[in-house]
Formats: sequence, C-alpha cells, structure tokens
Amino acid sequence: MDMSKYQELFLSETREHLRRMSQLTIALEQNPSDREGIDALFREAHSIKGMAASMGYERTTALSHHLEDFLDSFRSSGSVPEAAVDRLLAGIDLLEGLLGSIEAGQPEQDVDAFIAAGTDLLGEEPATESESEPGAAPEAVGSTEKVDPAAGSGRSFKVMFELAENTPAPAARALLALEALKTLGRIDSCRPTEEEMKQGFAVRQLAVWLQSEHAEEVIREKVGAMPDIARISFEADRRQEDRPRLDEDVRTVRVRTALLDKFVNLTGEMITNRYMLQSATRSRDWDDVETGLNLLSRLVTDLHYHVLQVRMTPLDGITSNLPRLVRDQARKCGKQVKLEITGGEVELDRAILEDLADPLVHMVRNAIDHGIEEEGTIRVKAWREKDLALIEVADDGRGIDPSSVRKRLSEKNLLTSAQIKALTERELFQWICYPGFSTAAEVTETSGRGVGMDVVKAAVENLGGMLEIHSKRDEGSRFLMKMPLSIAIMKVLLVECAGQTLGIPVTRVLRTLDIRSEEVQLSGRQRIYPLDDEVIPLYPLNELLHLPTNGAAVVHLVITEVQGRKVGLIVERLTGQLEAFVKAMAKPLNRVAGISGATITGEGKIIFILDPQLLFEAEADQFSLSDVEESI
Amino acid sequence: MGVRVLIVDDALFMRNMLKDIFVKAGHEVVGEAANGEEAISRYAELKPDLVTMDIVMPIKSGIEALSEIRSADPEACVVMCSALGQDALVVEAVQAGAKDFIVKPFKEERVLDVVRRVLGN
Repeated sequence: MDMSKYQELFLSETREHLRRMSQLTIALEQNPSDREGIDALFREAHSIKGMAASMGYERTTALSHHLEDFLDSFRSSGSVPEAAVDRLLAGIDLLEGLLGSIEAGQPEQDVDAFIAAGTDLLGEEPATESESEPGAAPEAVGSTEKVDPAAGSGRSFKVMFELAENTPAPAARALLALEALKTLGRIDSCRPTEEEMKQGFAVRQLAVWLQSEHAEEVIREKVGAMPDIARISFEADRRQEDRPRLDEDVRTVRVRTALLDKFVNLTGEMITNRYMLQSATRSRDWDDVETGLNLLSRLVTDLHYHVLQVRMTPLDGITSNLPRLVRDQARKCGKQVKLEITGGEVELDRAILEDLADPLVHMVRNAIDHGIEEEGTIRVKAWREKDLALIEVADDGRGIDPSSVRKRLSEKNLLTSAQIKALTERELFQWICYPGFSTAAEVTETSGRGVGMDVVKAAVENLGGMLEIHSKRDEGSRFLMKMPLSIAIMKVLLVECAGQTLGIPVTRVLRTLDIRSEEVQLSGRQRIYPLDDEVIPLYPLNELLHLPTNGAAVVHLVITEVQGRKVGLIVERLTGQLEAFVKAMAKPLNRVAGISGATITGEGKIIFILDPQLLFEAEADQFSLSDVEESI
Repeated sequence: MGVRVLIVDDALFMRNMLKDIFVKAGHEVVGEAANGEEAISRYAELKPDLVTMDIVMPIKSGIEALSEIRSADPEACVVMCSALGQDALVVEAVQAGAKDFIVKPFKEERVLDVVRRVLGN
C-alpha cells in the first residue's frame, strides 16, 4: 500500500500532538501529580506511536513507544518528577527532529542513545530521584546531552567522507569516523545508516548531516587525521533551504465540512442567479435584471464572508509554543515566570498570524529578560473589538524607566534636550521602537540589543495594525497590538484631496471631525488645534502630497497617530467607507513614499491607500514632529 | 613523553614486531599477554595508557577481553589488531568500544600514527 499520500496528514497531526504534549508537560511541571494530565500525555504519545507505526517510521515509533512506557511508569507512581520533565521535553524535541527529517525525505535520526538513557531511568522508582537535588543541573538525567537540542544549536552541514581504495574493514572505519563526529556535535542522520554500518555494509562513502558549533577546519583536523580517509568535503545543509519551499508546495488548510457545504450551496445559488440574469437580459426585463443583480450582490457578500472564514485561524496556533518558551527562557535567566494566555480562540487571518508569530515571541522574551525582575507573571491576552483583534503582552515587572529612555535619547543624539523634555510618556515609549534603540543595560543572549522592538513595530504596521506601549514604574509594561482581522480586505476611509480620492485604513484612524476654519490656530507657522486637553498639529494632506490647495470654510480632520502622538490631517472631503481589496504596489510605484497599496472601485477607478506613518517618515526632513513640539 | 603500552597477541612474532616499533619510537612496553584472560589481569595490574589487542586468540577472544576491560575501566584505550578479511569482527570490536584498529601486516608508520591519534583525542 502506498503510504506516501498520508505523509502530509501524518506530519500535521503528529505536530499537533507534539504541541499538546509540550503544553501538557509544562503544565505537569507546575502540578506534577495531575492524574488527568499524565493520562492525557500518555494518550498523546500513544497516538503518535500508532500513526508512526502505520506509516512504517521505525524510529519515530520506537521513540514514541519509549515515551509512552516512560509516562506509563508515572501513571502508577501518580506524579511526574522534575527530572522527567526535562527528559520528556528532550524527547518531544527529538520527535520534532524526526518529523523534520521525514518531511525533508531524509532517513530518521538515530534515537537509540536517548532510549538507552531512559531505559535505565525506567527501572528506577521515578518518584524518588527528583527531589534529591532541587535546582540541580537538569543534565543529570541519563545521557540526555546526546540529544539535548542545545548541543545541536550550531550550524548544520553535510559532511562527506570518501574512504581510500582498499581500506580494510571500511564499515568499522566509517563507524569510527561517526564516533569522532559525535564528539563534535549532533548527528541528524547519516547515509549509510549506523545500523547498516554495524551490519558490515561495504562503505565507500559516508554522508553525515551534522549540527556543530565547530569550524570546518576543526572537524577536518579531528576526523581527517584518521587513516584511510581519502577526502572530506563539506556542504551547507540544504535541507533547511528546501524546507520552506516544500512548505509552500504542500501548505494546506483544514476546513470544516459545514463550511464546504456552504460553498457548494452558494455556488448553486449563483448558477441559478446566472440563468435568471441571462434570461432577464434576453427579454430586456430591466426589473428582473435589477432583482438579479441585488441577489448577486448578496451572494457575493456571503461568499466573500465565508471565503475569509477559511483563512481565519485561532491565535492558539502561535501561542501554543509560548509556555515552553517561557519555561526555558525563565530558567536560563534564573527567574520565576508564570504565563497566562487568554483568548487563544480569537481568530485572525492566517497570513496575519504567521507574521505575528515572531513579534509575539520577541515581546514575551523581552518581558522575561527586561521586564520581570525575580518573579512575575506575563499575560498574553487577545480579544475582539469590532473589526479589530487586540493582542496584548503584559508583564508585572519593573516597567520602562522614562528617565533611562530620555538618557538614551540624548546619549544617542537622537533629539535635542528641549525636544526630549517636551515628550509625553506615551511618545517617549514609542522611541523604544526606533531602530537601534534599546534601554536594556546588558545585552542578553536572546533579546539582544537594538534589534527587536523596531522589527515588532514594523511587522505590526505592515499588517495594517498599530502598536501601543503602556508602562508604569514598578507596575509593569503592556504592549498592545491592534490588528485588522484580515489583510486582503481592508476597511478604508475615503477622503478627497485636490480632486483625488484617497483611502486611509480605518485601523489607522482614531477619529474624524469637522471644524470651522477659524478654529484652526497658528503657532508660528504651524497649524494647531486643541482637542481634548491636547494640542495637536494639523497638516493639510494636499501639502504633504504636493498637490494644489484651496481654502474652505469647513475643515475636515482625520485624526491619526504618528510616532505615538496624535496628528490631524486636513482633507477636503470625507466621502465614505469602502471594503477594499488592497493590492501592494508593483515596481516602480512602490517607491512612492506614503502609499502602501491601491484598490480598484466598481467604476474602474484606482484609489491609492495612504499610510500616514510612512507619509510622515518620508517628509521627516521638512516636518519634524518634535520641532512642532518645541514651537508650541 | 613515551606511552605505556600493553601488547596482547598469541603470536610471539607479532608481539616482538610491535614491541620493536614502540620501543624505537620511544614508548615503553610495560607488559605482554598471549590471550584474552591474561590481557584482562595484566591490564588491571599495569593500567597501561594503551593496549594493542589481537582479535582471534585462545581461551578468551580479543573482543571479549575488550568488553571486560572497558566495563572495568570505561576510559581504557584499546586498539584492535586484525588480519585482512576480519571486517565483521572489527565492526563488532568498534561497537564494543575499540578506539581504532590496525591491520596486519603492520606498517610502522601506520601503527605510530594510530597511537598518536587515539591518545591525542
């Protein structure tokens, strides 16, 4: 029977099981004698074993079987010792690695060492060996270092050996070469396999996929010095590069059958609608044409809504790996960190989710590294508000120190001291996202310095969202991402300016209002307007876009936010809202500053979509918000 | 610094040949054994830096001796001596923990090269 057609399903389901295993394991670390948790974990391992065995993946089967046995021992003892958690996580990582190999069409890695290390452990009374040395090195469990993912954190490459002609006992030589490589890094797989070599397979060439932190020269020196090795060559491991392409090809979505039925029904109705319209046009019955068109419009709206549903994925997809991340990171920093996730069921367009995954990880890491001091809680919360999905990463740590941000700004000569003094806290925090800016005194391994928040902000804004930063000394920080639910279809506010209609994404609009022209005040040459205890600078959109201006009695304002401060755009008319299918600009129009894309209306008119942030960045030389601040 | 070597082979001829190679290179041959059992007791008593171990020997084979020595001293550095055509046995020995192997007829250079390498690691 050809099993290859099941591979994709096997991979996606097994990955889901592994994700749950990882979550359950971390939960058990908090609550080691949770019977249900142990049982659930056991069942996950059992499911993987069954699937892997059906597919004929021997090592994946062996490893999942081993984990199942391992877990079974805790079912009788009733609790999972601390040391076992590390081992379970290492096993889960190893299984992930096996899936990666299977996906890349490579042979499965050797798991014997891991299983052997655990078999010793299985014989022992699992409850006794953990509490002996709390906080002791987790490596103490068997020889898990052989499979410790950290050991393989170096580069991946393929090492090719050629044995000299007439090499005596070539299989033994190849085994020795492999042993030598094992001391230098982690072997992902090799060809011929270790098993084949042990059976005396006549080896002429040996290909090893190795993860190692050592330079090629070191490996060459250590292994190449062996007798009978005629040649060693290195290749970058192409599997990683292949992987995304592979993903691209096989990317799939699971759709509820109810939704598919809906599509079939809608298609049926549209076919009926087509006949109706055809016959109405033939008989020139304009009333029927109009009825038909109304029906068509309803059907298209319905179809559109349901197609978007297919693309909607719950946030769970990108938050499920956070518990593991927090655990590992907190342990590395020597901190006690609790993670609470709420709203994992909130759905967003999968394209948005994919692009949010890294920023989310980054913010959580930041919170552990820089926010939380010794002990604290990180809350990741998501909820819906009208057409927006809000995702917040909050910690109860030390908060951002405004004075250190101010100090940094002046150290880096980013602003003059007068400008720095004038910044509100809200504006000040936005500077954290300035490329190359960081207040962390020390560079930590993961959060690094300077890279990060600028990337987070850029990712959020590229998706049409907004990032807000709130922080209070000793109370903690909140990073709030306001995201649109879908990127393909965007709600835009239509404005008119020198006879042109332009669109502004509603996610970027705080509010609109009309004022009389005499209400506009002047501060120097800058137009300003007092709005809710705040003086906001006004900019005619015509001027920003270098279009002709004309004075009007009523001034229409679109209030937006740039670099954390409110700004008013003066437009000639507010003409309405549109659900726009926005396409990115192609070359060379993508060079036009301030324009993020375009859409075509029903009448065939092109409407450009403005990005206020980009617009002001492009004008930064002429308009500096901070200059304005000074003049007010 | 010379290396302290224990030579294990049932043929005196082979032992002498290896001994000459080692002594000439400045190493010290601290003992000899003619079978596996003798090898085990000599190893325990001498604690040499290196053992050259023939595979096919009476009373106890080289592989059995290797396993016993390694279980008593996991750090033991044992190099197997094999003849052509013993590939399967060499593979077995490597799995049992042999650090390397040399093939008869011995070439002086090759023997010393292996010694350098296994002790250099």
